[in-house]
Amino acid sequence: MAATPIPLEARGIKKRFGNHEVLKGLSLEAHKGDVITLIGASGSGKSTFLRCMNLLEQPDEGELIVHNEAIHFRATKHGREPADWKQVERIRAKLSMVFQNFNLWSHMTLLENVIEAPVHVLGKPKKQAVDEARALLDRVGLLERADYYPTQMSGGQQQRGAIARALAMDPEVMLFDEPTSALDPELVGDVLKVMRGLAEEGRTMILVTHEIAFARDVSSQVIYLHQGVAEESGPPAEVLDNPRSERLRQFLAPKH
Amino acid sequence: MIDLQGYGPRLLDGALVTFELAVLSLILAVILGLLTASAKLSRNRFVHGIGTLYTTLIRGVPDLVLMMLLFYGGQIGINMLTDQLYYAFDIDIFINVNAFVAGVITIGLIFGAYMGETFRGAFQAVEEGQMEAARAYGMSGWLAFRRVRFPLMMRHALPGIGNNWMVLLKTTALVSIIGLTDMVRVAAEATKATHEPFLFMLPVAVIYLLIATLSEWGFARLTKRYNVGFGESSEWNN
Amino acid sequence: MEQLNSWFTALLSGNAIFTANTLGFYWNGLVTTIQLVFLSLLIGVILAVPLAIGRGSKRRWIKLPIYAYTYVFRGTPLLIQLYLVYYGVVFFDGIQDSIFWVVFKQAFFPALIAFTLNTAAYTTEIFHGAIKNTAKGEIEAARAYGMSRRLMMRRIILPSAFRRALPAYGNEVIFMLHASAVASVVTIMDLTGAAYYVYARFYAPFQAFIFVALIYLCLTFGIMFVFRKLEKRLLAHLRPRGA
Repeated sequence: MAATPIPLEARGIKKRFGNHEVLKGLSLEAHKGDVITLIGASGSGKSTFLRCMNLLEQPDEGELIVHNEAIHFRATKHGREPADWKQVERIRAKLSMVFQNFNLWSHMTLLENVIEAPVHVLGKPKKQAVDEARALLDRVGLLERADYYPTQMSGGQQQRGAIARALAMDPEVMLFDEPTSALDPELVGDVLKVMRGLAEEGRTMILVTHEIAFARDVSSQVIYLHQGVAEESGPPAEVLDNPRSERLRQFLAPKH
Repeated sequence: MIDLQGYGPRLLDGALVTFELAVLSLILAVILGLLTASAKLSRNRFVHGIGTLYTTLIRGVPDLVLMMLLFYGGQIGINMLTDQLYYAFDIDIFINVNAFVAGVITIGLIFGAYMGETFRGAFQAVEEGQMEAARAYGMSGWLAFRRVRFPLMMRHALPGIGNNWMVLLKTTALVSIIGLTDMVRVAAEATKATHEPFLFMLPVAVIYLLIATLSEWGFARLTKRYNVGFGESSEWNN
Repeated sequence: MEQLNSWFTALLSGNAIFTANTLGFYWNGLVTTIQLVFLSLLIGVILAVPLAIGRGSKRRWIKLPIYAYTYVFRGTPLLIQLYLVYYGVVFFDGIQDSIFWVVFKQAFFPALIAFTLNTAAYTTEIFHGAIKNTAKGEIEAARAYGMSRRLMMRRIILPSAFRRALPAYGNEVIFMLHASAVASVVTIMDLTGAAYYVYARFYAPFQAFIFVALIYLCLTFGIMFVFRKLEKRLLAHLRPRGA
């Protein structure tokens, strides 16, 4: 069988903060169209793992391969760091991240936010970028907000705008870091609806979330992290409906 | 050791003048500032208007121009007054406007306006609930002001007072222009006589830096003390 | 025009001090003050941008000298800096024999240098503060979208920092206008110099200095007006829509 490139592969990722090892050798393989959900209590390392994938955090050990291209590291006195930052920038452009706090650029309108990286990182002609951006904003239901600044929009609108910004990069993989955690409950639904649409059209997505019901619906694989270790992993029907460990059972039990 | 060519003692005297001038001006500025803040917070429209006019005029005109106006104009104004006294009552006096007094008054007047803004903001930052609590415990108006509102206000005002003091200190250099023998004037005279600007200007610059650095340290400590119970100071910046 | 002219002459004929001649002095002083302040602010900003970036550098040999520079220039009076440049410029070897002496022997250029160094120091700290306060999340987003340091500085950090620095910079412009009055002590006929001349000539301190104070007041209000307009346009993103 001809090897089709795997969009994102992480092998044996380890990460320490000081003396505390937060990731103890995590691996993951995101094939085209996969939706992989990372769940776990806060402090389990799920966000750190996600942030290692686009090197916002530098993994101390392990390999990262994006679309058949392995990231080079070199040893320094503080540990290791990427050998070639140009390579990192190129790879980050293929992995769009959606943040918990949206992180839209506050001095730019929504439309300017969406075209910023396509024009200045990918070098797309501005006219084309604007046309595509408007189509994306229409898709997330924000076309009439194109000229608004981030502070002039609700959290849910900002997050849908941030998803449009991520889509504008036509990314290999989309990384979602708790995209609904900072939202008022009544605004969560709109954002999840947009994300569901993306999953259904076959986008490769890696997602950190507390929305278990949503994870059950859209995921192809669920990974349960505990103290930096992948305790259980598999299709949602297996992990979420038939948890093997007592810990995961308790984590999933309705509470609050 | 650097040879100050006999100007050393005069330079030290000048430094003392600078320091005295700065401290006296600061005291005047604080008093004027408190008055201005009360005027600007007053419900009386006339009093409020006077306060606003004062701060606007002072902040719109260069320090040096105000200083010249007060110093040169003040002399003539007083001469006119004493002339009137002479014609009317046959009292013959001559008052010479002293550059030091003119300096203190001008600098105090200028920084009174800036202090006024600082105090006004600080008074407004005190939560009404704190004063309500004071009244609820039976404190009289003056007692509540003295024991609650004023100390709380000072906490908010300290960073601003610190900044104003730093600017005021540098402004004192201007009095050398109207003839007061502060350290800048001594250095300027020495420079003109010896053609050695670095020899005299650099030590003066170092003294300014020294006072500024010491005051910054002092204000940081004061801020810390006034901020007891309020966590880390986030307002201190210059 | 003719009518206006005669009206003006009639107005001036009524007093001995504000003749066309002294008004000419004030006018030339105004031009000198504006030239001096505008040029030093312009060069100061150009210097301050790289200095502010360097001031936030992780490398100590870059940030410490810049910090020392801003500390000294913000911690000492402008008057001393002016004296140092004005009297110190002759100590540069050979400057009096070079072609530059033509410009340096006039007081204007030493003053311009002193003012520029002074405003650049303040502006550096203003920009540095604004750069430092850039939202961490926005920087992270820029990194996550593959921006290089340079691109991030140019597209994300500086444009947003400049906007946030605008109110503080407006104060610096006014501060510089007022501070420029010390130029008159090194023989420059700026606005204050003109006022002093008129005072000394007619021994009329009130007229001479109140008139010049009003000119400064108008200039100050003009600057405030321009900055308020600029803030309204460039800080639109910090206000609710329609406000």
